Amino acid sequence: MAKVKVEFQDIALAFGKTEVLRGISLAIEPGEFFALLGPSGSGKSTLLRVIAGFAQAKTGRVLLDGQDISAVPPWKRDIGMVFQNYALWPHMTVEDNVAFGLQERKLPRDEVKRKVAAALDLVGLAELAARRPSQLSGGQQQRVALARTIAIEPKVLLLDEPLSNLDAKLRVHMRVELLALQRKLGVTTLFVTHDQEEALSISDRVAVLDAGVIQQIGTPVELFDRPANRFIANFVGTINLYPGRLKTGAGAMVFESDAFGTLTLPGAALAAPGEVEIAFRPHVVALCRIGAPVDASLIRLEGRVAAREFLGEFIRYTVKSGAADVISDQAHYTGASSFSPGDAVQLAIQPQQIRVLAR
Amino acid sequence: MSRRYTLPQAALALLIALFLAVFLVVPVLNVMYVAFTNSDGSLTLAHFRSFFQLTLMREAFYNSLYVGGMSVVVSSIFALPLAYFTARFQFRGALLIQTLGVLPLIMPPFVGATAMQLLFGRSGSLNLILGDWFGLNLPLMEGLNAVVFVEALHYFPFILLNLTVALNNIDSAMEESAQNLGASGFRLFRRIVFPLALPGYIAGAALVFLKVFDDVATPLVLNVTDILAAQAYFRITSIGIDDPIGYVASVIMVLASITALWGSTWVMRGKDYATLQRGGSSLATRKLGPWQALFAYGWIVLVLLLVLSPHLGLVLLSFSRMWSFTIIPETYTLANYAAVFRDSPFMLWNSLLYCGIAAGLDVAIGTAIAYLMLRTNLPGRRLLDFVASAAVAIPGIVLGIGYLRTFRGFNLPFTDLPFVSFWMIIAFAFTVRRLPYALRSCVAALQQIHPSMEEAAENLGANNRRTVLRIVVPLIAGGMLAGFVTSFLTAAVEISATLMLVSATSDAPASYGIYLYMQSIVGRGPGAALGVITVLLVGLGTYASHRIMRARSTRFDTLQALK
Repeated sequence: MAKVKVEFQDIALAFGKTEVLRGISLAIEPGEFFALLGPSGSGKSTLLRVIAGFAQAKTGRVLLDGQDISAVPPWKRDIGMVFQNYALWPHMTVEDNVAFGLQERKLPRDEVKRKVAAALDLVGLAELAARRPSQLSGGQQQRVALARTIAIEPKVLLLDEPLSNLDAKLRVHMRVELLALQRKLGVTTLFVTHDQEEALSISDRVAVLDAGVIQQIGTPVELFDRPANRFIANFVGTINLYPGRLKTGAGAMVFESDAFGTLTLPGAALAAPGEVEIAFRPHVVALCRIGAPVDASLIRLEGRVAAREFLGEFIRYTVKSGAADVISDQAHYTGASSFSPGDAVQLAIQPQQIRVLAR
Repeated sequence: MSRRYTLPQAALALLIALFLAVFLVVPVLNVMYVAFTNSDGSLTLAHFRSFFQLTLMREAFYNSLYVGGMSVVVSSIFALPLAYFTARFQFRGALLIQTLGVLPLIMPPFVGATAMQLLFGRSGSLNLILGDWFGLNLPLMEGLNAVVFVEALHYFPFILLNLTVALNNIDSAMEESAQNLGASGFRLFRRIVFPLALPGYIAGAALVFLKVFDDVATPLVLNVTDILAAQAYFRITSIGIDDPIGYVASVIMVLASITALWGSTWVMRGKDYATLQRGGSSLATRKLGPWQALFAYGWIVLVLLLVLSPHLGLVLLSFSRMWSFTIIPETYTLANYAAVFRDSPFMLWNSLLYCGIAAGLDVAIGTAIAYLMLRTNLPGRRLLDFVASAAVAIPGIVLGIGYLRTFRGFNLPFTDLPFVSFWMIIAFAFTVRRLPYALRSCVAALQQIHPSMEEAAENLGANNRRTVLRIVVPLIAGGMLAGFVTSFLTAAVEISATLMLVSATSDAPASYGIYLYMQSIVGRGPGAALGVITVLLVGLGTYASHRIMRARSTRFDTLQALK
């Protein structure tokens, strides 16, 4: 299958007075598994519908391998889409559903038959070909929708929240399968989701949308380690965030805030001085008893445990330090000692784990 | 947004607009025009003044309002307890109540009116029995009250069905949260259940009013002539097509219908909420206590007896040689049926032809408008929907008068046959009159289908036409069939426009035949026989379509799951 590059150039779209997409520019490399991540109402599904031709951008172009497809009607685009509710036609059997696109392409009968069988085989539903959609489970319906789309060997595969209608266990299972299938077919794939775990776990790259604007594009690791702004920091994973002023001190930067008072951030210059926010992930905050030795290169704070959540793999503490609430995740294993609300504790943070975000 | 329609779609819309203009808008406007202008074309209210100066017209106006309003009241008395029983109690009478719902659909009031006279009239069966035993005589069938009684008995199911649906759509969580906050008993009913169900009741009540106001044949069969519809009919047929008083009566009828419709939506604006959530359950049902059971079943049996009485009476009448001053006929015969099969089988064929044409056109137009409205942004699509739906407020008599006035002087192309006496005009009247119902049925069916069903087809390479053909039409076939059947069956018993438009007996449909027979004492027997045959055919049709619909709905149950 030829791999296709997808480009958006300055896409804008509004429903009435509501601006849904604002100046979206984005390039998706051939064969990439690309996620559009964002909260509901961020415009991510609309962007998908723009590629499929169901929504018309007010301005901007969509390019497929350099060719503008903005004027091509949906049925001539050869872009396969799996709908959130699957949109399986209830008056057709599974087989008829999958055959539909091939019949519309006027393929000879035996070729349709062969390709339907191959597509159903690929998703492991060959034996359910004669059933009607209403007789299938949610996971099976999802596979039929997928088979129906890949049967036409689309240039690009669009997945609109494909896993959101499945239960939690099945969702994890299907996302692994989805990735395996995509790698096998090599088709450029756009995947819309509001679930950051889903996006981070299987995508090559992710674009995070909010309010119709792309907030950041990057690999999952980049998004997690170097969030571009407050929105990304909050939306991708859990994070501690504190506003304040960054100043140049003697040999190190100094962070002044209502939360901690004055905090010296040793090490290299982190950012330009000014109004900023500092951010760090809960799992980089070490927790120990008052009086325990702490490496001098670490930033040290004192506080008292205010709350404790047991989450299985780790325990999440909320520690009151000065005026600030600091979240700290401590790995849990059988027999590990833990803290209780009210305990006085020390917090230790490696300076290079702290991000500074401009305000 | 950009253009989301194709040129063929625009052309189709134009064609439908043309049809509606010629057979609905222009005739109705013509009626208005005549009512508001002098012979020289200047605007005037003089016709209205002379209308209200005529004592007979004033009375007719008040009588029509009285009959319409009282029919709603009496219908409510029949319907409210029945609706409440089905919604609130574990109850095996639900099937019976459903049956009650379809009976008026298959037999219009004017058909049973004569039989009702024989059963409940001054010297009818009931009063003969009461007179023998207690020396009593109940004036059930005297004057206007006869019309109210007959109409209410036929049309109360409109209230019953709408109210039952409304009650069933109330999520039990609505009631439970109120109970959780301390409401119970009558207070709970008054503050939660009643307001939530009110839109259903109002919708049903407005429908009853419209139907009764529109009905001309029932009062005439019952010898009541001092109501608006009958007066409009008489003025035009006896004094002539140029008499303005008939047009004034028409305009007043249209205004009253619009007021009833507009009033019901105005009272309920922003208050119609289907609260039932996905996975939610309807109101909790209780077991009936012994006294409640006695009352409930007693009421159902009583209403059922009343509802069935015109049917039974009609059957008796159709087999009777002579029936007067006796509880039941004294001698029986098949002669009435023989007379019908000898004289008027062509009327049944006419009905079949007209109703088939009307229902076919209705479904075609209804599907087209529904599609244009829900799937394109064609300018004027809402106007099309509005005009087609507005036909509901136009009484049949008014439409008939409008046709006679508008098309007079026009001849059928290539002939010198006047267009108004062409049989197709009856079919077109039926089409316009039944279009609102078929349209709603098509719109509802299309609304059930998630647009992604069609988008998926386009995504896989099907263009507009192919998508409609392979996805839309198969999926809404059930709704289209329902629309066809409703249009066909209700057209089969339509009488008010027919009365105005039948110009030769050979063109008359069966409903007209029944009306004509019922005009004379000797005709009652054959009239009843023709009535029985018609009702049987219509009833069979209803039953068959219910069967087909149920078979389809189980096949496509994912439609619900997808919503």
